[in-house]
Amino acid sequence: MATVHLRSVSKLYGQTVAVDDFSLDVADGEFVTLLGPSGCGKTTTLRMLAGLIEPSGGRILFDDQDVTWLPPRKRNIGFVFQTPALFPHLSVADNIAFGLSVKGQKKPAIASKVEEMLAMVGLTGYGARLPGQLSGGQQQRVALARVLATDPRVLLFDEPLSALDKNLRDTLKYSILDLQRRTGKTAIYVTHDQSEAFAISDRIVVMNNGHIEQVGTQTDIYLQPETPYVAEFIGANNGLRGTIAGRDGDGDDAGWLIEALGHTIRGAARPGLAIGQEVVAYVRPEDIEIVEVGDGAGYANLLDGTIDRVIFEGATAQVRVDVGGREMRVDVSGNERLTLMRRDGTVRLGFHPVTVIPVSEVPEAS
Amino acid sequence: MTATADPRAQGTTASPPEESRAPLLSSRRVTAALSHVYIWACLLVFVAPFLALLGYSLTGPGGTYAVANFQYVLGSFGDNLVSSFQVAALTLIVDLAVCLPAAYALVRFTFRGRRLIFSILSLPLYVPGAVIGLSLILTYNFTYHISSIWGLVLAMAVGTFPLMLTPIVVAMKDLPLVFEEAAECLGASRWQAYRRIVLPLIGPGISAGLLLAFIIVFNEYLVTLFVHPPGLVTAPLRVFNLIRTAGLAPTTAALAVSLQLVSFVAVLIFFRLFGSRNLKGTYFV
Repeated sequence: MATVHLRSVSKLYGQTVAVDDFSLDVADGEFVTLLGPSGCGKTTTLRMLAGLIEPSGGRILFDDQDVTWLPPRKRNIGFVFQTPALFPHLSVADNIAFGLSVKGQKKPAIASKVEEMLAMVGLTGYGARLPGQLSGGQQQRVALARVLATDPRVLLFDEPLSALDKNLRDTLKYSILDLQRRTGKTAIYVTHDQSEAFAISDRIVVMNNGHIEQVGTQTDIYLQPETPYVAEFIGANNGLRGTIAGRDGDGDDAGWLIEALGHTIRGAARPGLAIGQEVVAYVRPEDIEIVEVGDGAGYANLLDGTIDRVIFEGATAQVRVDVGGREMRVDVSGNERLTLMRRDGTVRLGFHPVTVIPVSEVPEAS
Repeated sequence: MTATADPRAQGTTASPPEESRAPLLSSRRVTAALSHVYIWACLLVFVAPFLALLGYSLTGPGGTYAVANFQYVLGSFGDNLVSSFQVAALTLIVDLAVCLPAAYALVRFTFRGRRLIFSILSLPLYVPGAVIGLSLILTYNFTYHISSIWGLVLAMAVGTFPLMLTPIVVAMKDLPLVFEEAAECLGASRWQAYRRIVLPLIGPGISAGLLLAFIIVFNEYLVTLFVHPPGLVTAPLRVFNLIRTAGLAPTTAALAVSLQLVSFVAVLIFFRLFGSRNLKGTYFV
């Protein structure tokens, strides 16, 4: 168990920047997920934490120990790869025992630890089998057991579920979380799957192009995106380009008025913005309601448009509405999704100011 | 009459439908038969000379049948067989000592001219044995004269190490890096990862290399002729010497058959150990 600190870590491949000025502090026992599209540098960051890649700059600390230049074997980490990577010529028990035996532990101690680990991942009695005789999910659980047997300071996961089918992913992600909670180990988890990140993380680090876009809890990232990238990458969103026209009331907690689509839209209060600034005002599709034309229905923001098409998705339906040449997505559920399917023509969209998040066009960092 | 005109109608009655019976001379059957003939013809052409040699090796004085020839081989040519095994064993050790680190370096490290070096290392494969022999005689004479078995072993190693290097390099390339990374993250040193993970997993490649090199070394005549130290005569060399001086005697044929059997046994052992089990199928990557 340990805290993990990355201090301005960077990685360059020739002229290409893979990871740029990455700083993060992870608390003891915390489960942090690095989330981003492929090529965003999340795996490179994880491999630098493991010592499989040397950073081009910056420092990495576990507790107070500077591990930046230590090889993997001296870091006492547990790395779970995308593939189970079980040694195919060794039995399940010997795979789990590997970490202990290379450290020179005695055979009886190893054997009892192996049994304990097999029980922990629910594979008691599978010790004598070869990896090839197990299913993909069982193999990944053995990989977890193999890692936990060495009692690592930090658990590192590199998209461990991406090679599995969906049902298995859903159960195994909670097994991973459960094991991490029971052992109380610090965990850093890399994934490109939002639902996975949202399901298991204490905090999420959204990455893009080698740098951190935002660090926060699920609600921080979903409800208070700090950059247009985060607002658009996480979930679906309607981004309305505009400028800050003024304040909607008095005091610091007053909302912003945003000029967009030829309307003045009343938005939520956010720090760090000023009148005249270029912003994108984001409204989630599920925060918009379709109301009768001519009816305000108590919404402070109303936009008129025409329905382009309705996409029935089962529990919900996506309605694409043309508002002054800008397509907006509205998600509806319940009976409304059925009535809307038989309807076209003019509609009115209503949404509350707290759901309109103005985000500065230019990130403050640059 | 109408029932027999339509086979399908007949099928509904007691007798089986007619179309289930295949024609006697279908093109598929003819092809299959021809394939068999072809394979047996090949076997005959390639095995017949060996059978002639086998028959001759069992011929006693006055055309009688004699197993005694083989007893004579063990008695009189025993030293030659022992020398052959000695040279082969030492050569394989030298080859392994060179090829295992070389294959690891060639596959796991990226450096300039890696492909060029691999091509140059394979060069002895395309150089005739006589050229290798001559160049080694020159080298030995100009530097120091090697009269021990090591001169010959070195010559054999030069000629055969590409044979061993290539299958080991291929096995290393097939082995995903993630196994070594997993081992190192679990606390293994580079050496532990190599010995306990890499070495067993490239086992089939190593064995294939050992087999190829063994067969070549064990049967090599030309290089031996050039650089064998005085007093050391390997079995193939003895066969040629005997034929040159005394013509083809049944006992010489028996020695040749014995040589052939050693190679056969080596191949059999190889396929017994690695032929039936496909290790590659267990990589899951």
